[in-house]
Amino acid sequence: MNTLLELSGVSVTFDGFRAINNLSFQIAEPELRAIIGPNGAGKTTFMDIVTGKTRPDEGTVIWGERSISLLKLSEAQIAREGIGRKFQRPTVFEDQTVADNLMVALKKDRGPFRVLVWRAEPADQTRIEELAAEIGLADHLGTKAGILSHGQKQWLEIGMLLAQEPRLLLVDEPAAGMSGPERDHTTELLKEAAKTRAVVVVEHDMDFVRKLDCKVTVLHEGSVLAEGRLDHVTANQQVIDVYLGR
Amino acid sequence: MERSFFARNPSVLIFMGLLGLFTLGVTVLSEAYGTSAISTSLVKTLGMTLCLCLVALAMDLVWGYCGILSLGHFAFFGLGGYMIGMWIMYARTEAVVVGSLANAPLPPTPAELTDAIAVQIFGVVGGDSFPWMWAFSHSLTLQLMLVVLVPGLLALVFGWLAFRSRVTGVYLSILTQAMTLALALYLFQNDTGLRGNNGLSGLQNIPGAEDIPQSVTSIWLLWASALALGLGYIGSAWVMSGKFGNVVRGIRDDEPRVRFLGYSVEGYKLFVFTLSAVIAGIAGALYYPQAGIINPDELAPIASIYLAVWVAIGGRGRLYGAVIGAATVSLLSTWFTGGRAPDVNLGFYTIQWVDWWTVLLGLGFVLVTLFAPKGLGGLVDYIVRKDRA
Repeated sequence: MNTLLELSGVSVTFDGFRAINNLSFQIAEPELRAIIGPNGAGKTTFMDIVTGKTRPDEGTVIWGERSISLLKLSEAQIAREGIGRKFQRPTVFEDQTVADNLMVALKKDRGPFRVLVWRAEPADQTRIEELAAEIGLADHLGTKAGILSHGQKQWLEIGMLLAQEPRLLLVDEPAAGMSGPERDHTTELLKEAAKTRAVVVVEHDMDFVRKLDCKVTVLHEGSVLAEGRLDHVTANQQVIDVYLGR
Repeated sequence: MERSFFARNPSVLIFMGLLGLFTLGVTVLSEAYGTSAISTSLVKTLGMTLCLCLVALAMDLVWGYCGILSLGHFAFFGLGGYMIGMWIMYARTEAVVVGSLANAPLPPTPAELTDAIAVQIFGVVGGDSFPWMWAFSHSLTLQLMLVVLVPGLLALVFGWLAFRSRVTGVYLSILTQAMTLALALYLFQNDTGLRGNNGLSGLQNIPGAEDIPQSVTSIWLLWASALALGLGYIGSAWVMSGKFGNVVRGIRDDEPRVRFLGYSVEGYKLFVFTLSAVIAGIAGALYYPQAGIINPDELAPIASIYLAVWVAIGGRGRLYGAVIGAATVSLLSTWFTGGRAPDVNLGFYTIQWVDWWTVLLGLGFVLVTLFAPKGLGGLVDYIVRKDRA
């Protein structure tokens, strides 16, 4: 297990509010990690920093074997480095079919001129079908994404992330608004994905985190409060005070 | 996936067929090549309408497909017109000056000739020499290249600055309005070198075709406009039919998603914006020889707003929608404001359409927005089920 992503001493301030305070965090490849914490703990800001949406005031974000600093890259470049991000609300291209959504996400050249002349080959078609089967949407390839159910949209977005073949997947509250069986399917998808890559799941829902059965990082006021197995951190008195005790 | 481009885009073939029939019909009914059922001025109006359809197509690419509401596209259209107008004015005036000096005792030197042409063109604004921007006006080839290059470069620079700074939505629309307004004000100045508010005139007289009657040249220009519209339609459909179109529509609907998939959103916007400006420039270069005159008023902000209204009424996000909207509204506008629409006498008040047309247009725009958000082109969905999924 090599360290894939390492944040050290990262701080961000928004209008005087310290959203992230001297945060240090590491994840290996492959690994499944859950991040929990109360509202305002800095979970989403953490993702914004890793994906390049927010620039930290201080600290370093180092990526991969060649130890690239992500702070110098744009969002698109970071994504091309192999970091995929799933948003909290499902964001798929509602006006386009499931197949087209996956096709756009497939790991291919992203430049406008190359994309202009690109046409799907049989191998790409097969890959799209495989992905659709994996996320349980094999029968919906021609369906417009806009008419899928909430859960199906979440899966489609996860499918699009998998199509990107990222080395690190950042997933923001994947189980929000899902029914029981839908949650189980999502758990399986994430666990399966984490066998070959690093997956970070930000989640509120303790039951869901328990099912993921992985190492947990507890964030509080922008820094790491505790880290370890779920049973271990939930036994931590500080964690109980700031989060679980409420 | 292996089906041909036309099989996947049946509307392109239908459009080409209709455009071909229209062109053939006008030709057969024209004064030059047919029964004279259509006057030359109507041929010109129809040819100009085709150019307006082409610029609407360009507008649909940026707005309907990419979600960039540009309210400055007539700047590109006007620039295209100015570029071709410079050559027409130069070449025409040169012919006139050479003709008038033919009987002079001494043949004029090239410098005298140039000065005489300059006085002819710029006397109206008190000038007597060519400004720098007329450097290539003697060459049709170079001016034709400028028809593409000038709008393209303006769009490239403007777009690069705006998109790089992540200016979007209404702020970008305001910036594009400012762009076309600034350009119009710049052109209004006599010192700019494009004859200020006089603009370029006499553009209907194509150099080298002095002996050919307007009835014939008007048909030629109509053919050229139809060809440009056809090629523009096929080209736009091809660009938007592949993965590029999926990415661009993705930017319109969910820009962050596209960005986090690893696509450089700014690069794609710049590509579409510049392509659209080039198409608009070509449309303008074909329009103004039919209109006969171009002046800075053509670049006024209101013109670009009308363009957005046409596309909205026609239905954005589908190419034929833009064409339907531009054709319908601009032809109606010509009819209502041309004084041929009968006045409506209400007894206590007489509605004169010249004044009331804009009210009717505004009302139509509101009604379409409220009750048919997909525009006139959306009616096609009732006939053809598009989602065959």
